[in-house]
Amino acid sequence: MSIAVLKPGLQTTIQSRPRVGMRHLGVPAGGAADPLSLALANRLVGNAWDEAALEATLLGPTLRFDSPCTFALAGAHATPTLNGKEVFMHRAVAAAAGDELVIGSATVGARVYVAVGGGFGADDVLGSTSTNLQAGFGGLEGRALAAGDELHFAAGPGRECETPEEFRPPMSSSWAVRVCASVETEQLAATSREQLFGTNWTISRRADRMGLQLDGPGLNVSSDGRMPSAGVFPGTVQCPEDGAPYLLSVDAGTVGGYPRIAQVARVDRHLLGQLRPGDHLRLLLRDPDEAVEALHAKFDYWRAWLPEVEEILL
Amino acid sequence: MGWRFVLRRCGDDLFSIPVSSPVEAQGLAEQLRASGDWLDVVPGIDSVVVRFDATRLDAAGAQRVIEASLKAGIEPLRGCDELIEIPVVYGGEFGPDLENLCNDIGMTPAEFIALHTGKEYTVDMVGFTPGFAFIGGLDKRLRIPRRAEPRLRVEAGSVGIADGRTGLYAMASPGGWTLVGRTPHRLFDASAETPFALRAGMRVRFRAIDTSEWGE
Repeated sequence: MSIAVLKPGLQTTIQSRPRVGMRHLGVPAGGAADPLSLALANRLVGNAWDEAALEATLLGPTLRFDSPCTFALAGAHATPTLNGKEVFMHRAVAAAAGDELVIGSATVGARVYVAVGGGFGADDVLGSTSTNLQAGFGGLEGRALAAGDELHFAAGPGRECETPEEFRPPMSSSWAVRVCASVETEQLAATSREQLFGTNWTISRRADRMGLQLDGPGLNVSSDGRMPSAGVFPGTVQCPEDGAPYLLSVDAGTVGGYPRIAQVARVDRHLLGQLRPGDHLRLLLRDPDEAVEALHAKFDYWRAWLPEVEEILL
Repeated sequence: MGWRFVLRRCGDDLFSIPVSSPVEAQGLAEQLRASGDWLDVVPGIDSVVVRFDATRLDAAGAQRVIEASLKAGIEPLRGCDELIEIPVVYGGEFGPDLENLCNDIGMTPAEFIALHTGKEYTVDMVGFTPGFAFIGGLDKRLRIPRRAEPRLRVEAGSVGIADGRTGLYAMASPGGWTLVGRTPHRLFDASAETPFALRAGMRVRFRAIDTSEWGE
């Protein structure tokens, strides 16, 4: 059972669950940048939520099914076609051998997830099949897909179903995420602190699975730029000497030497995978306990469609 | 107890615990890890950051576990007996910054190599990228800051120095350390039981080799 990659897209990788508990070895979390959309795509084809799927960034791949399968798409808005005819997102679709799937461009949001019944075969390294591009392991030889690649998948059950409207995450070009104060938030000058939480930031061109640079007013941080390296996580907002906040994403390094000025709360971390250059972002300052309450409310909402939501939004 | 020992919530699921040294950070991290309560325990140079799962342990509970560990006292990580020797080709294309560095600090490359290979070091911590080792104890004469402009790609096995430490790149990555050499020693093997050759507390010695010994 295989799928041929005719065009790889801008950056298409195999992603599944994150690597948890290895940050002290320098191993980033990784995994789907938007794990909720990964889980939604997998559920439609009858897979476990964390089965290996394709994560397509901005411009998706063109694929040819060399054997029949069931596939499903979730995540960013796009207008994919199967043999030239539009296929819908959030729906399991049966493909025949020879069918050609064009994912095309994401129009709103950044990443489309492609799941196939049975899941893609991928290298299992350090407890996950997720691709780590920097270190070059996991997924398909630790790299993004290239034209001519052949992807293998196990024959899966596949089922015909669609995601109910209320469980299709809204995509936007204007986002807000809840954040908490972090260890060095107080090193920000008072006006900079107001700017951090009051500015409608713009996602810069420097935006990938490692992190997103935020364009806006320069922040003043009282630091000599020699902070001893300390633990950072996906969702940590760092402030380098140049004053441009840098929001760490799933593949970020495990320690850093820049002041940590905010931390995206667990409840909204999955949104980071859908931010694209030019999008706007507000950082909403919340008390940590409020953020936990919001997390439990999100769990209560999603449990009806994704019973493993607590693990998905880890 | 000064301010440094104040436990700090730094996110809805994160606590940062200031400590006074890398060995304390490693020791506390090991103590905390033993409880099995954490998703990740990340020791730094002078802190430990833990991430907890709010669905299994609330913040007050997490705080109690940490405070109990602090109250029992931090047992600094003891250096292990294991001494690992890292062969290094210094200078040339493998250590592109060595010559400039030596000019800056007024030393010949031979003097630098004698100094760098002349003592035993300890791995302070592993982190940043998979297996990257921060090795403490660099001679005071070799203390230089990180490069102002990091390189976009530093090859696996590269040996750099910055901020009083030697850094070993287990795999290729961007990097801002001054590169003095490279080792052929395999620092990462995904299929091995312990994939990373270096861990905190390990004793390290560098040995100068020339390129003819690279493949051996």
